[in-house]
Amino acid sequence: MLFFQLEEHIDRWCRTWKVARGGTLTVEQGWRLAQAWYGPDRRDAAWRRKNVTEVEALFEDLGLTSGFWNLRPPGRS
Amino acid sequence: MNQSTEEFDYQVRKAVYEVTLQRGYPPTLVEASSQLQADLQKVGAAFQRLAAGRVLVLQPESGEILMANPFSAVPTPFLVELDAYSCYGNCIWDALGVLAMLKKDGRIATSCPDCGTAMQVRVANGSVQATQGLIHFAIPALHWWDDIVFT
Repeated sequence: MLFFQLEEHIDRWCRTWKVARGGTLTVEQGWRLAQAWYGPDRRDAAWRRKNVTEVEALFEDLGLTSGFWNLRPPGRS
Repeated sequence: MNQSTEEFDYQVRKAVYEVTLQRGYPPTLVEASSQLQADLQKVGAAFQRLAAGRVLVLQPESGEILMANPFSAVPTPFLVELDAYSCYGNCIWDALGVLAMLKKDGRIATSCPDCGTAMQVRVANGSVQATQGLIHFAIPALHWWDDIVFT
């Protein structure tokens, strides 16, 4: 995940490197995602990775609802 | 008394993150073994299990930690500056994650990969401050772990 100055810089970089345009977050969205993802203390015995349902809820809360953010393989729900 | 694999893996995870949070980069196998007073091969096997569980990312040949997310063991384009130390995040999300995990104010210094312009993000009093900038995820979420180093 890279940090670009402007939208058009993302477009140009994708064209240059022949990479499909992906998903874009504002800095505020990225901060909220980072807090939710990395806030829980990994030194705690009870810590565990978020499951798919929890990540889906987090993405939805952040407004990340396009197919790009889908976590389930096609045909599985 | 025998310690279960699950309990040992937890002790390794805890030790890895204690060291990482204290100094900004993860311990080597030797350091973790010394801290845990445990056999090197046993700790190496725990690293492998934690990597299989997507808790750590290892260097393929040495089995040393490459990423104790969000921290990187090696320099990256995402420098995180705190009062106590400077360290590296694996990507912009992880650089923000370092500050989120530590619950500290700090500054991320990076550059636009398209034009090279220096960019920074500051976190102060728990709020993020950046005049401009957009985070781009090139890999769809379903495939992040297909090649996590590239992601």
